[in-house]
Amino acid sequence: MESVNLTADAGHKGPSYFLVFIILGVLTLVEVAVAFIAALPDTLLILILLGLAVWKALLVALYYMHLRFEPAKLWWMVMAPLPLGLILVGIVLIEGW
Amino acid sequence: MSVDAQAQEAHAGAGAGHHEEIPWLRRYVFSSDHKVIGIQFLFMSLFFLVVGGLLAMAMRWQIAWPSSQEMPLPGGGMLPDVMVTDGIMLPEFYNALVTMHGTIMVFFAIMPLLVAVWANYLIPLQIGAEDMAFPRLNMASFWLAAPAGILMLASFWVVGGAANAGWTAYAPLSVSEVYSGVKLGQQLWCLSLIILGFSSLMGAVNYITTVINMRAPGLTWFRLPLSVWGLTVTSVLVLLAVPVLAGGLIMMFFDITIGTSFFQPEGGGQPLLWQHLFWFFGHPEVYILILPAMGFVSDVIANGARKPVFGYHAMVWAIVAIGFIGWVVWGHHMFMSGMTPVLGGFFMVSTLIIAVPSAIKTFNWLGTLWGGNIRFHTPMLWALGFVSLFVIGGLSGIFLAAAPVDIPLHDTYFVVAHIHYVLVGGSLFGIFSAITFWFPKMFGRMMNEGLGKLHFALTFIFFNATFFPMHMLGSGGMMRRLYDPTQYPHLQPQQDTNVFITVCALLLFASQLILVVNFFWSLFRGKRAPENPWQANSLEWSAPSPPPHGNWGGRLPAVHRGPYEYSHPERESDYWLQTDPTGAAPAPAPTTSGG
Amino acid sequence: MSNTTAAALERPTTGPGSGFGVYNMKLGMWVFLLSEVMFFTALIGAYIILRFTNPGHFAEPGVVLNVPLTAANTFILICSSVTMVKAFAEIEAGNQRGLRMYLAATALLGILFLGVQAYEYSKLVHEGFVPAAEFYAALGRDGAGAVEGGPLYGATFYTMTGFHGAHVTIGVLCLLFTTVMAFRGRYTAANHGGVEIMGLYWHFVDLVWIILFTIVYLI
Repeated sequence: MESVNLTADAGHKGPSYFLVFIILGVLTLVEVAVAFIAALPDTLLILILLGLAVWKALLVALYYMHLRFEPAKLWWMVMAPLPLGLILVGIVLIEGW
Repeated sequence: MSVDAQAQEAHAGAGAGHHEEIPWLRRYVFSSDHKVIGIQFLFMSLFFLVVGGLLAMAMRWQIAWPSSQEMPLPGGGMLPDVMVTDGIMLPEFYNALVTMHGTIMVFFAIMPLLVAVWANYLIPLQIGAEDMAFPRLNMASFWLAAPAGILMLASFWVVGGAANAGWTAYAPLSVSEVYSGVKLGQQLWCLSLIILGFSSLMGAVNYITTVINMRAPGLTWFRLPLSVWGLTVTSVLVLLAVPVLAGGLIMMFFDITIGTSFFQPEGGGQPLLWQHLFWFFGHPEVYILILPAMGFVSDVIANGARKPVFGYHAMVWAIVAIGFIGWVVWGHHMFMSGMTPVLGGFFMVSTLIIAVPSAIKTFNWLGTLWGGNIRFHTPMLWALGFVSLFVIGGLSGIFLAAAPVDIPLHDTYFVVAHIHYVLVGGSLFGIFSAITFWFPKMFGRMMNEGLGKLHFALTFIFFNATFFPMHMLGSGGMMRRLYDPTQYPHLQPQQDTNVFITVCALLLFASQLILVVNFFWSLFRGKRAPENPWQANSLEWSAPSPPPHGNWGGRLPAVHRGPYEYSHPERESDYWLQTDPTGAAPAPAPTTSGG
Repeated sequence: MSNTTAAALERPTTGPGSGFGVYNMKLGMWVFLLSEVMFFTALIGAYIILRFTNPGHFAEPGVVLNVPLTAANTFILICSSVTMVKAFAEIEAGNQRGLRMYLAATALLGILFLGVQAYEYSKLVHEGFVPAAEFYAALGRDGAGAVEGGPLYGATFYTMTGFHGAHVTIGVLCLLFTTVMAFRGRYTAANHGGVEIMGLYWHFVDLVWIILFTIVYLI
């Protein structure tokens, strides 16, 4: 099973791994700080924290899992189940209220 | 597009010899050959079909002659006292029968018969691959499914008996021993389904990867047989729905075992959460149980009618559309749960919308038959039976989709009739069509046509006689999962109908003996099958019957056209193999009109 | 000529419009990860729903759970992700030594994460924070006053983090296997699919933790 090297130019990826790592670490610190220090209204706080979490998750998916460098078809396939999760949680929440 | 023929020739000589020395155990038991695994699943799930049928017979006996000393359950004396005492079936055992009949039939009979058997057997053959993408994963999939089945059956014999909260296992009945009297049985039920879920996942990963990556040269997406389309979309549904069930089952298992309170109101939990998780899986599951059958039936009907499938592209998009819409309809199982009317309305409309692609498929089958020179071989009869019964089941489904109608009919025999029309009249007829159609390819022998037709005729008659009257019972207010209908005055006038149904159900069960006899007789004594007995087009009919290990003798087939080029006007013979290079100006994709 | 045919038979991804241009193992891993997404959707979704419908069962962040410790643990997992991706980069460049070093480092960091989680669990259980509804008696980190939150807190916490921990455990076992294979010289610059799919799984586990850390510990 020989690898299909889809991202032949390792040049631009090399340094970015470390950069992504730094960003991830900083974002984690920011998250903890926001959660404990900032006196924000609950809704805004939750939105900010979720935004930060999604940002971190996207960084991991796009750079560490190389999704940014994969064929578009794979990208679409990977995105497919996300709406399903939103549908499940969204509808049950409407129902639970 | 075309594979270099000379190079193939050169390779064929080298590849022919090395398949001989596979030891027996690795060839037939721990085999990684997709065909052997498919056949293993076939035998396993047919066994569970018989078991599930026996459970249903016991239930029917109780309903027709409830707790009767004159008509004791035959063989009831052999069962332990915790199940049948003095010839009288205990209510707890009846509940376990209801639960296990549903569970076994859905998860261990119909689901593997549709998906595991045929996805394993057909996908590599119909897409022109030598095997699955991950043959060993495939083997693991079977060797997880078998223990899961054993675990499920074993739960009958543990303390407290088998799970008895229904196949939907609604909480808090299922999670509390106080209510159901069953603990270990329900735990085993959860574990068995979690293991089976793993097995299904392994299968689904395999099927999806194989179809995406391993199609033969020239086999574009719109040259795939509809069987492969049905199986692929089904695999996607399995892949995304089963983990949700697994998550729910794990929470249920924790509730029972370590005393968490996910679904227990006493500890703040939400019984409705289980229903949502279950049906979020359960409704895609319904389409898992019908889409492959729709695929097989399309293949068989085109073959029997000797015409291209009417509206091939529409058929494909209908399958895909069902696969999508199937995710937003689960709430129609829960109209009675006190759901917000706004959501109820949403689920009602989305459910009615899903009737559109289903109707597209039905009309296209009729369009395929229209004006065809039909060959009424046994698989064709099953396929026609499928179409007619699926229409009835689909129509009663539309009744139930409408929330105002569903509210009085909910949890009555009307629902039982509906599910059996789509799951037996639909899925199982599709399965029988597939078994009779591909038996020659699987085992290299023809099945007996006379016995096959007799089996079809009797099954068709007794199926309708069994399940059609249930619509009336349900409208008359007979509740499903009812232990003793004679206890209710309003059901007394219908007791004769119940007796009639039980007699027909017993005859329906007995008719299946014909299939068993035909199956095993043909397996050993049937006429040798030629490579292409039905004069069909798709790739598997270019391989020997049965295909050898590696299917194609070392040379992958090259595909020149779609799978439904029957009765092409410019050809003498009325079929045109996908691999046939003659007349091959780059062939058009399958026509969208039946002409 | 016959060589190319043999290769095509092993991995027939060709044909017009066929295939995603991704080799089987990698595509299979992605497909599997999709089902994992749905699995965690069920667990996390249940948590969100139970939390919205029973807010009284959940304590303020930091009252029961040890956030600084887990933030450090999150950092450990992020470190393991960067070592994993470095391992992949090294073997892509054909550097065996770098591959072995980074793989071993990743496995060690994974084990460290599990160790911290085990410590966290034992502390929490001592403080009365348990999944069973009957025995739930979490007094919080200051150890005084009334019981914080309710049994759903314990149940959802242990289910989500526990299944994540199980995934890490499986990942560590696979990493150890991959490391052994790397020491035996199994992977080359041209053939390192095993490292790549190992990485996909490991990063996915990291990704799940990022989400879990936020919604379980911080919100």
